[in-house]
Amino acid sequence: MSTETATPTKPKKPGVYVCKGCGIGDAVSTDDLVNVAKNEFRIETASTHDAYCSADGVAAIKGDVDAGTVDGVVVAACSHRVMADKFRFNGTPVVRANLREQVAWSQPAGDENTEMLAADNVRMAITQMQQTLPPLPSQVQEYSRTLLVLGGGITGLTAAREASQAGYPVVLVEKTDQLGGWANKWAGRMPHRPPYRDVQDIDIAKLVAAVNDDPNIEVKLDTRVMTTAGQPGSFSVTLSHAGQESSIEAGAIVVATGFRPYDATKLGHLGYGASPDIVTGVEFEAMLKAGELKRKSNGEPVRNVAFVQCAGSRDPDHLPYCSSVCCGVSIKQALQVTKTDPKASAYIVYDELRTPGTAEEFYRQAQEAGVIFMKGKVSGVDAGAMQVTYKDDLLGTDVPLAGLDMIVLATGMVPNSTDPDVPVVEEEKSAAQLKSDINPFSAIPVAGYKAGGADGPTPPAMPHLDRIPEGGPILNLQYRQGPHIPVLADGFSDSHYICFPYETRRTGIYTAGPVRRPMDMGESAEDATGAVLKAIQALEGSKMGSSVHPRVGDLSFPKVGHDKCTKCRRCTVECPFGAIDEDEQGRPIINAARCRRCGTCMGACPVQTITFDNYNPQMVNAMIEANEIPDEFSEKPRILVLACENDAYPALDMAGINREQWSPFLRVIPVRCLGSVTLQWVSTALQKGYDGIMLMGCKSGDDYQCHFIKGSAIAKERMSKVGDTLKSLMLEKERVAITEVSIADSHAAPKALNEFAELIGAMDPNPMKGF
Amino acid sequence: MTAPLPNPGKKYDLAFARWVYDNVNGGDKLAMCMQCGVCSGSCPIGVNMDHGPRKLFMMIRAGMQEEVMTSNTPANCTSCYRCVVRCPRSVPVTYILQDLLAKQAELGYRAKDNHENIAFAKSFWWSARAFGRTDERLVTAKYYWSFGPAEFWKRSMENLKIAIGFIKKGRMHIGMPHSVKDKKGLKAILDKAREIEQRG
Repeated sequence: MSTETATPTKPKKPGVYVCKGCGIGDAVSTDDLVNVAKNEFRIETASTHDAYCSADGVAAIKGDVDAGTVDGVVVAACSHRVMADKFRFNGTPVVRANLREQVAWSQPAGDENTEMLAADNVRMAITQMQQTLPPLPSQVQEYSRTLLVLGGGITGLTAAREASQAGYPVVLVEKTDQLGGWANKWAGRMPHRPPYRDVQDIDIAKLVAAVNDDPNIEVKLDTRVMTTAGQPGSFSVTLSHAGQESSIEAGAIVVATGFRPYDATKLGHLGYGASPDIVTGVEFEAMLKAGELKRKSNGEPVRNVAFVQCAGSRDPDHLPYCSSVCCGVSIKQALQVTKTDPKASAYIVYDELRTPGTAEEFYRQAQEAGVIFMKGKVSGVDAGAMQVTYKDDLLGTDVPLAGLDMIVLATGMVPNSTDPDVPVVEEEKSAAQLKSDINPFSAIPVAGYKAGGADGPTPPAMPHLDRIPEGGPILNLQYRQGPHIPVLADGFSDSHYICFPYETRRTGIYTAGPVRRPMDMGESAEDATGAVLKAIQALEGSKMGSSVHPRVGDLSFPKVGHDKCTKCRRCTVECPFGAIDEDEQGRPIINAARCRRCGTCMGACPVQTITFDNYNPQMVNAMIEANEIPDEFSEKPRILVLACENDAYPALDMAGINREQWSPFLRVIPVRCLGSVTLQWVSTALQKGYDGIMLMGCKSGDDYQCHFIKGSAIAKERMSKVGDTLKSLMLEKERVAITEVSIADSHAAPKALNEFAELIGAMDPNPMKGF
Repeated sequence: MTAPLPNPGKKYDLAFARWVYDNVNGGDKLAMCMQCGVCSGSCPIGVNMDHGPRKLFMMIRAGMQEEVMTSNTPANCTSCYRCVVRCPRSVPVTYILQDLLAKQAELGYRAKDNHENIAFAKSFWWSARAFGRTDERLVTAKYYWSFGPAEFWKRSMENLKIAIGFIKKGRMHIGMPHSVKDKKGLKAILDKAREIEQRG
C-alpha cells in the first residue's frame, strides 16, 4: 500500500539482516556476510540472528524500521517464496537474499566456493534494494463496479445471478429476444445432482425468472456489443439495440457466448442430408422436446435408433477435439427413447465412450435400462437401407446395423469465440491476428524487426490454426492488437485452462461455459461462478491499481520514458495481453489495469526505456555487476542464471529442500518472466566477465506452461539471435543457453545447470574478465 | 413356449438382442456386460468354445443371430460358475449360457461343430429320466451309439479295457441298472418342471 506522503524514493539506509537458522550459520560465516554489507556497501545496520523468522527476530527488524534507522530491509535467509508474511513491515521495501535453499542446503558447508556464493547473493540483494522504488499504484480515473455479462444462456444467467448476489450491479446482454439460450430447446438434461442416474428436467425457467426479478440485473435483449474500449475498472462498451446505440461503463466483463453445433452439412460421409431420418443430436432433441418421436420420412414409430458418436469430432478433417458432452447427451436421448417406448431399442456406436465425472453413473443407468453400447468406428452409413456399418473392436469384424428407423449423429461443439453473425471485418488481418496469437512461433510483424532472421528458427507448421471458428469479433475490442479475444489452437477462448481457468489474454475479460471448453449445463453453471469471482477480483484490483493473477497485488506497472522511445512498436506488438496501445505518433500508451506485470515489454524495448519501479533493466544490470568475478587463473568460472520466478526458481528451491547439490559457480537472479529478459543483461554479463549465461523458464510452444503465455516463446525467439552478437564479440555461441523446466523438475533443473556448468568449465575463460 | 426368433434366417438382426433380453433366463442382465472379459479368462473350458462368453455376449448385442444360435459355447459350459462368481457386473453368465443352449435345441439350431456335449447331455438325461439314476454303461453306450454303429464299435473297443478294470475293482456293477423306487413320482416331478419352464 502506498502512503499519502510525498513521492517515494529509493532506500538510502537499508538494513541487512543475516540469519543463522536452518543450517545457514553452519554452512557459511555469517559474520563475513555482515562485513560484506558493512565494508563494501557502507551499510550501518547489519546484524545476525539465530532465527529472524522467530518472534524475537521479527521484533528486532521491526524495532529498526519503527525507529527509522532503516528504510529498507534486506533479509539474507530463506527463499523469498517462503516466510513472506513474516517479513512485512508496513510498506517498507523488503528484499530477500536466498542463503538457505540455494546455498546452505545445496552446497558443501564451509567451502570457499560456498562462502563466495553466499557473499554474492548478499551483494545482489543489497544492490537490488538500493535500486528499489516502492511502487505507487496507477490511478484509475473513473471506476465502475458494474459487471457486463455477455450471453443469456445458463452460463450467463448464473454469472449474472452470482454477481448480483455478491453485491455487484450487472448488465446482461443477450443477442436474441429471450433468455435461456440452448436450454430452452432441450428436452431434458444430464443429471447434475445425486444420485446422478436419471434424466433431469430443464429448470431454466426458474433461473430466467430469478434474473428478471433481480433489481441488480439489467437485462438487455436483442442487443449486441458494437465496440469495447478501455481497461478493467473502466471499460466503455457501446451496445446496439434495434438500430439504437447506447453506451455503458463496466468494470469487468464475463463472456458467456456458448457454442454452436458443428455444421452437419459437412458430414456427408455419415449420410447427413441423404435421408430425413438421419438427424443431428440437436435436431433429435427438438423431436423429443416436441414429444413427436416419429420417423420424419413416413411418420412411423421409432423402434430402432442408432446414435453415432464422434460425428465430425476427433477427426482431423473436421473438429480435431473431443466435445466431451456428446456421449452423455446420446445416453440421455437413448434413455428418453427407451422410456417413451419400452419396445424401442437404442444403439450407441462409440469409439471411446467419454463419461467424465458423475456421468459414469448415468452410463451405468443406461446399461441397466438396456441401451446397447457398441464399440467401434463407423465405416459407412447407407441412407437407403438405413444401415450403419461399424468395425466392432470387440468382435474384430464389420457389423451391419440394418433396418434402423433413425440415425442420430452426435455432432460436436464449436465455441462462439467469434460471432458467426457479425461480418468478418478486414478478414485477412483479423484471421492473422487470431492466428499469430495462437502460434507462439509466428512471425512478429513489426517494421525494422525481422522475425525469424536469416538463421533463426522457422515457424513450425500448425495446421490446426485453420480451424478457428469463422466470424467477426465478439467484443470488438478497440485494442492495438486487434478486436478479438485470443483463442487457443482449437478456437476456444482461454489462456491456460488448467493453471488459469477463465483467464483470457485480455485482462478483466473472463470466459465461462462452452466458449472456453466443451461442457454440459451443470459444468457451465459452475464455470460461471468461477468466472464471476475472477471478474470481481479484477474489478476490485483495478480500483487499487493492483495486478491480477499471477502477480496478484503487484502495484508496479510499466513506465515508458518517452524521451528515449524510438517508436519501434515492439512492446505494443509483443505484449501477451494487449495492454499497450499506440498514440498517433506510434508511441506506446500503457493501460496499467490491463497489464499483468510480466515485463515482456521491458525485455522487448531495444533502448531499455520501459521500467517498473521495483524491477527494471538498470536494476538487474547493477545486480549482475555487483558480483565479484574471480580472475581467469582462479579456475572459478561464473555463470549467470536468469530463472523464471514462477516455475524455474521454485524448482531450484525445491531441489535445495531435497538437498540436491549443484555447481557453486552459478549466480541465480529470479526474473518475472523470461519475456522480461533484455539482451542488455546478456551483454552486461559477458562484459563483466561471466563465462556463461543460462536462461531458465517455462515450456513454450503449443502446450506452453508460461504463466504469461508467450513470454518464454518470445525469449526463445530473442535468444536465437544472440549467436550473431556473440560471434561479433569473438565468443562461442554456446555460452548463452536457454532451457525449459517445469515447477516439478526439482531434479532435472539442477542437473541441467550442472551440465551447463560442466560445458562452460571445459571452455576457455571469458576473455573479457578484468576489463 | 419360447417366443420364436423375430426374424429367423437373417444373419444379422437388430431385434435379436431384445429377444435374448426378453426370453433367455438372465438375459435382461446381459446389458450390464461391460466386455471386460473376466468370464472368458476364468473359463476352464474356454479353449474348446468357438467364442468365449464375452464375445458371445457382444455378438448378441450386435445382432449376430445366426452365429450365436449355432455357437458351441453354450454346450461347452460345464456350469462351474467361476464366471458368475467373478463377474464385476453381476451378469449370470452360466444361467444365460444354459438357457441359450435350451433355446438352440428348442428352435432347431445345432452347433456348427463340437456338438458331442449335446449328445452326451441327451444320453445323460435319458438315463436320469428313465431310472432316476445315471447308469455308466447305458449312458456311455447311448452316447457312443449317437455317432452311428461304426463309431459305437470303435469307441467301445477303445474303452473296453478300462471298463473291465472298473468291473474287477467293483467300481461298475453288472446286472440290471439301479433305479429309484418311485419312478412314477419322478416322472411327475420332471413333467411338472417342464410345464413350469414352458409356461415361462
